[in-house]
Amino acid sequence: MDQPAAESRKWTLEPETEYRFELDPGTSLAVKLLRGQAEVFGAELAEAKPYLFGCECKAAIFTWQGCTIEVTGRPSTEYVSDETPMSAYANLHIALEQMRVRALSALNGSSDEDDENRDENPSSRRAEPPRVLIVGPEHSGKTTIAKILTNYAVRAGQGWSPLLVNMDTTEGGWVVPGTISAAPVHSPIATYSPANPLGSAATSAPMVLSSNALVPLVYWYGHPSINRNHLLMERLVRTLGHHVDYKWDADPECRVSGLIVDTPASFASSSSAVDHRHQVIKSCVESFKINVILVVGHEKLYVEMQRLYGTQLNIIKIPKSGGVVELDFSYRERVFNYQLHTYMYGQVITAPPGVADATLGGEALTDLVLAPSSTVIKFDDLTIYRIGAETMAPTSALPIGAPRVVSEMQPVLVDPSQPGSGLLNAVLALLQPFNPDENERYDEELLDLPVMGFLVVTSIDVPNRKMTILAPNQGSVVGRTALIGSFEWQEQ
Amino acid sequence: MTRHRLAPQLRKFSLSSPHSLSIHGSMTNISFFVHCSQVPPWMKLPSFYLLDAISKNVYEPYARLFAAFVIPLFLESYHLVDPQTRSKMEEMLLTWRTGSPTGKELFGVAPQASIERGIWGSSGNSNASGGFHAPVGRITKAQVLSELEFTLGQKERALQTNPYDETARNHINILHQLRKLVEAGVSQEELQQILTQLRSLLRSVAPPPPPPPAVPAPQPWSAPPTYPGSTQMPAAPAAPYGQPPSHLRTYSAASLGDVKVEGPSSAASLSLPMTSTDAVASIPSVNSIQNLLSTLVKAGVVSATATPPEAGSSRQHTPTAKTEEIDLAKESARTYRKALLAQKIKLTTSDITKKRLDVVSLLYNQLPSQCKQCGIRFAGSALGKKALQDHLDVHFRQNRKANQNIGRGHSRSWFVGTDDWITDASHDIKGKGREDGARPLNSKAAAAAEVAQREAELRAQYVVVPPGDEAKTISCPICKESLKSEFLEDDEDWVWKNAVMKDGRVYHATCHAEALASTSSLAAKLRSDLVGRSRSATPDGLSTTRSTPPRAAGSSLKHDIRNSKSPSPDSISNSLKRKADASVAPTDEETPPSKKIALSA
Repeated sequence: MDQPAAESRKWTLEPETEYRFELDPGTSLAVKLLRGQAEVFGAELAEAKPYLFGCECKAAIFTWQGCTIEVTGRPSTEYVSDETPMSAYANLHIALEQMRVRALSALNGSSDEDDENRDENPSSRRAEPPRVLIVGPEHSGKTTIAKILTNYAVRAGQGWSPLLVNMDTTEGGWVVPGTISAAPVHSPIATYSPANPLGSAATSAPMVLSSNALVPLVYWYGHPSINRNHLLMERLVRTLGHHVDYKWDADPECRVSGLIVDTPASFASSSSAVDHRHQVIKSCVESFKINVILVVGHEKLYVEMQRLYGTQLNIIKIPKSGGVVELDFSYRERVFNYQLHTYMYGQVITAPPGVADATLGGEALTDLVLAPSSTVIKFDDLTIYRIGAETMAPTSALPIGAPRVVSEMQPVLVDPSQPGSGLLNAVLALLQPFNPDENERYDEELLDLPVMGFLVVTSIDVPNRKMTILAPNQGSVVGRTALIGSFEWQEQ
Repeated sequence: MTRHRLAPQLRKFSLSSPHSLSIHGSMTNISFFVHCSQVPPWMKLPSFYLLDAISKNVYEPYARLFAAFVIPLFLESYHLVDPQTRSKMEEMLLTWRTGSPTGKELFGVAPQASIERGIWGSSGNSNASGGFHAPVGRITKAQVLSELEFTLGQKERALQTNPYDETARNHINILHQLRKLVEAGVSQEELQQILTQLRSLLRSVAPPPPPPPAVPAPQPWSAPPTYPGSTQMPAAPAAPYGQPPSHLRTYSAASLGDVKVEGPSSAASLSLPMTSTDAVASIPSVNSIQNLLSTLVKAGVVSATATPPEAGSSRQHTPTAKTEEIDLAKESARTYRKALLAQKIKLTTSDITKKRLDVVSLLYNQLPSQCKQCGIRFAGSALGKKALQDHLDVHFRQNRKANQNIGRGHSRSWFVGTDDWITDASHDIKGKGREDGARPLNSKAAAAAEVAQREAELRAQYVVVPPGDEAKTISCPICKESLKSEFLEDDEDWVWKNAVMKDGRVYHATCHAEALASTSSLAAKLRSDLVGRSRSATPDGLSTTRSTPPRAAGSSLKHDIRNSKSPSPDSISNSLKRKADASVAPTDEETPPSKKIALSA
């Protein structure tokens, strides 16, 4: 699609308004700040630098004090809104920030003589850093709020590095869907594509912003829905929580920066009768020592959370932004494809014609293109397991007294030579190696191993007992263990 | 392939055998042409450097031969390459103006003029004596900026060879200001004025000094130099002869701290008594720059009270400065705390949704200095300025790394395991030092910290210059490089930095330590573990408790090192690292708190 010359338009935004846009597939948009100050979901824009957006990105440029921006490209929708919930989010940031400085002075043992504002709130009296769980229904902007709060914290200039935890298995955050993960954030997270809603995991390329080279700890759940195997989900949450705890012990400054947990919509609404969300929320609250729950624009859920946790935790109801876009299933499907493609090949967005020197979230475009490696390996080189049986009848449907043949937590070896192994096009999670010390090993260690990377099986050659895998880099996978989930991906 | 590796070798080669080269002259020429025109864009620059070096060193007949095709070659390449390479090419082009042995245009007036015209438009005026000072047509900001950069580079090199030159320091200071000004945007007449003055300044200084011998590049962890303008033209200021002047910042910071340019009133401070020998020659140019600045002040372009942006960011490696810094950090944290806690809010739904608090002051007003490249803000305090400097250093490093990586593919890294995630070392790499010291480090981070600390401690060592010897240049017997002297404000003494006195001779502390380490590693191989263990002592212990090697041993040692050293500038750092790995791994000692401080330096 060669447009001769992309026209650019100027928008002048009044204080506390935002310019919202939505992009169609295959189009891109460049935004340049001409005057004033502007931010995209909490990440400030540098002046006179064109910022690119692509992959059906839907975002907003907000300004606290007014600005003029130049927009190049053709968004499918664009408008300026003066009704934003940003002041509430900013208040929230200040309240959380107060918790951080109190926790820091408690850590340093300094007295809080200049803290006249101490309230009788139980959580602030203990000088705990904020550990926030954000829940809400679909299309309420949970991920965006998590991003805004994180960005404001790292922008404070106090050296905070909050942990950002992604529990949303329908969307991978900085990795791929089907995972839960946590990463410390040191610099503002830029928004440019729905494939990287929370920044990008590290590559071999040098990055300007450390939020484009995040170092996450990743666990593989393997399914989009938490109801599919809630026992596994709870176990992974607790494992992740343990390691977060260790990290806090090792790094007190990271501890006082707090933690922000983004959750899937399935935490908020029960879609089926078999509903385990309360157990999963409970394990989240306990594992991450949550002390603040934010409920985004959902009255009933707010009451529900009040009833369950109101005595121990702060439950806050916050408004949802009017700019949130309702997304359909096919969009989710495409975002899944973008995410896997971005994991393997990096971010490839072409600038609108006439825009030079554009950056994607502050990075040069060439640094974001990645080269995965496709290799042929023998069946025996890689041990592949599936956790639990592929299809499981609910316990209630089993004959009374009949135990399961395969339990939910049991690793089942997958034989690639069997027809119906489900390996072709499957996304595999390559696990970190087992503990080198034999004495430290245990039966279910497989369930507690974090992910090293993701592989995709692109072809299977049963007669020769070989398969072709796409790996993110040249590293060898021979002798490793991998898990299969229910995700498949084919290059398009 | 950077130039500083290429140029000295080439110089040696071409100077030693000009005759034999000229026999193959026409042949080489043709192959050059083919080479230059067929290689991919990212390879163009090295080819041009080669061409540049040959023409300048063996002027006759190469410059003449190259002149025939240099115009289309240069212009064609210029339009193919990326902006960074372009600025380097512009820089090179400017050296061609005075590149010939007689100080004239390297390839003659006409080619020079037409190349400049091709790049900067019609204003690329003829370099002939008449038209030189009377540019016609529009002058582009880019042209002025690149000439500014070039003059700045020259001045900085001049300062490097003669650190006592107050004039040069003032020039650099003013040029930095000018650059800021031009970047901000000034009118055509002013641009023209600046350009004219710049050129006369350039003419008045002696032709550029020959490039210094290959300098071992600074170790990766020694903070690389940042020019205030590096946000605009990343990596461009790395002068054509590409030695990152790591010691230069100290000078410019010191002088900037002392001399605040305050418009016309600064005349006194600008014409400080000069200590250098070539000071007399450069007096006229001081005046010309002063004139320029004062006219600009009159025109209201420069605010008369403008202070250099780097003021207060001077870096000290003394422990006292460090503790002050920590105090400063605590103080600023306290101020922030106070401002924050003054905002009355409770974590309740009604407070969050109904109140209106002043978040703008927290996010913007308290953080006035902003990185122009990525938009991250820093406090306006001295500490914030330092943080911004560190941040710019990170950008600088990153850009340099990105330039080195051109042509290489990138790929997604594996995710880390739990141990590495818990003791995440990436934080320190990002240049954010931590003061708490309570963090256990994993072995890799510990090794890196050890090396960095060793390096910092070595570099902090100094020898007081004997009175009367300030102007004398002495060189390290190991690496044959001259020792850099510097004024230590605390002791009010001139000292040689990174120096150690042994048997009446002054060595580079780093060179000396390496020499010691290489003997002891040899010894360690031959002898027992005991010797190996002594290597894990701090460098202080090394240099004081170990018996100094007799001079004869020292000289043979010297020989070893010179033989074993590969030309790669990274080799020293690598070998240091390897040694540190070897010595740290088995002992795994507690890291002293001073390490943290050194790390955050």
